[in-house]
Amino acid sequence: MKLLIVEDEQTLRDTIEKYFTEEGSICEVAENLKTALKKIAVYEYDCILLDIGLPDGDGFAILEYLRSSGKNECVLIISARNSLDDKIKGLNIGADDYITKPFHLAELKARLMAIVRRKTFGSNSLLTYNEISIDLLGRNVNVNDKLMVLTKKEYDMLLYFIANKGKVISKNAIAEHLWGDEMDMLDSFDFIYTHIKNLRKKLMELSGKDFFATIYGIGYKFV
Amino acid sequence: MKLASHYNKVSVIISVSVLLISGLIYYLIINHIARQQLDNDLTEEVEEVVDYVNLNHRLPKPVEFDEDLTSFKKTRLQQYDTRFFDAPYANPKEKKTEAGRAVSAMVKANGENYIVTIVESREETEYLIQIISAITLVLTAVLLGILIITNRFVLKGLWRPFYRILDQVKWFNVADTNKIALVETNVDEFKDLGDAVAKMSTRVTTDYQGLKAFTENASHEMMTPLAVITSKLDMLIQDETLKPDQLGQITDIYSAAGRLSRLNQSLLLLVKIDNNLLQDTEKLNIKNIILDKAQQFHEMIVNKNIQLGMELADIEINGSRYLIEVLINNLFSNAVRHNKNSGNIKIELSGNQLQFKNTGTPDPLQQDAIFERFYKGPASDGTGLGLAIMKNICALYHCDIKYTFNQGLHCFCIDFKGGLEACS
Repeated sequence: MKLLIVEDEQTLRDTIEKYFTEEGSICEVAENLKTALKKIAVYEYDCILLDIGLPDGDGFAILEYLRSSGKNECVLIISARNSLDDKIKGLNIGADDYITKPFHLAELKARLMAIVRRKTFGSNSLLTYNEISIDLLGRNVNVNDKLMVLTKKEYDMLLYFIANKGKVISKNAIAEHLWGDEMDMLDSFDFIYTHIKNLRKKLMELSGKDFFATIYGIGYKFV
Repeated sequence: MKLASHYNKVSVIISVSVLLISGLIYYLIINHIARQQLDNDLTEEVEEVVDYVNLNHRLPKPVEFDEDLTSFKKTRLQQYDTRFFDAPYANPKEKKTEAGRAVSAMVKANGENYIVTIVESREETEYLIQIISAITLVLTAVLLGILIITNRFVLKGLWRPFYRILDQVKWFNVADTNKIALVETNVDEFKDLGDAVAKMSTRVTTDYQGLKAFTENASHEMMTPLAVITSKLDMLIQDETLKPDQLGQITDIYSAAGRLSRLNQSLLLLVKIDNNLLQDTEKLNIKNIILDKAQQFHEMIVNKNIQLGMELADIEINGSRYLIEVLINNLFSNAVRHNKNSGNIKIELSGNQLQFKNTGTPDPLQQDAIFERFYKGPASDGTGLGLAIMKNICALYHCDIKYTFNQGLHCFCIDFKGGLEACS
């Protein structure tokens, strides 16, 4: 997968690049509108992570350029503004999703994978990861060709973990993904544990493998 | 009392008293002049009588002196001062007695002394005085009437610009973008007032906008560093050499960053509500929103072993989906977060009321302070903005939100009777 990260904040750009760079993925970066437009004109990307507030103009210009030149890149807007108007505007002129700062990298990755999958659905709506195969349209999960019945939250969690495979995900990030960040539940994340435990058990029963590694004190890793 | 009424009162009192006093003086002077005139006439009459006697050496016959009644009386007095006095006048033509003025003087005829008394009718002068008084009275009344009408209508018109300015000041809302319009008037004072008010409102609005923009920009600017912190932590925890206690510290940093982010979001939301920026009004079924939120909070409720009881009627309201969801979310969040283990929550939705009752601390909250921004109970670890947001959302829709404490239950009650009118 080829990715372009358009973000003016250098530390954030580097961190995203590092997190997204993995086997089979190439990340390119642009720190302003000019560079981004130059790169988009020359190369093809699977997805563009686009910060709306850039020093030399706003990121909507890139969406307009993509649309006018008939390009079909997925665009995920990263914005510091949690503004409904910006969101609607962005989605209207061709963005696929909108994420507000601050975000967890795991959330960014999951969103990105979701829109890339949606764009490239076509004939194949099957997501395969080792023994697990997920029919994204029918929301059916099969492990070793056996149907695994999941609750909505468990299904969401599975997709989230697959998108962030091999990465340690904090409980905060999982809670925000499943319950939204307005939940304001600071006391404890104990209730996440129940969901993880159930999903882990179901996967183990069908595959005989433990996909989850508990990283004590912080969260989980899907392997 | 209005300024115009004060002015009216004073001007009426002053003009009535001035008119009355001047009327009295006027009357006295006219009376005096008329009397003088009569006395002069009578003096002339007496002179005529004296002349007649000197010429004819006999007393004249009463008929020879028209209108006036003349009578002679013999006297032994050698000296008699002419004197004037009021006396009844028997009108010979109309056979009735009228007010009169008389003079008596001494006349010498044929060596004998006579006292002549001449009575003249005062009727005409009385009549004159009456007419003059009547005219004065009528004039006074007319003047008063005109004064009152003038005060009422002309003054009202004169003050109209003032009231227009006053109305604008009354309805002035610092969050509104409409400026105070200049009032057209020829009165310099009102022009000055209007200018001053317009200038002041512009300044206040600009200051407010500046402050708001500052809050908004500051909150937005904080989002990027927060994103850096969060993403750096996300990277940091990938390091497998970290020990559990280090990871525990990272979790604390995560929580603090999350709290900061929510605080920022809340501040931004408050700015948006204050500015009425969320105008995506639609028909909403509150019952469904509550059920959705109950689902969302399910894990936390179960985790605390809380009993949730709901009595919900199908009620539709008009409002912004986002804001109503925030409202319900905050109600739930409060009821769960400040609840005790194995406590309970009761939600009642009926008619125009939504009530969230929950167990929690055994003591009531400070009713007047809880809706203040950044008010926090001793045990609260929230942003301190949740209730302020709820209050502002309610205020935006002209609803009432009240907190009561009854039999160990904290109750938040929202009355929809305002703008969130059920749209049935």
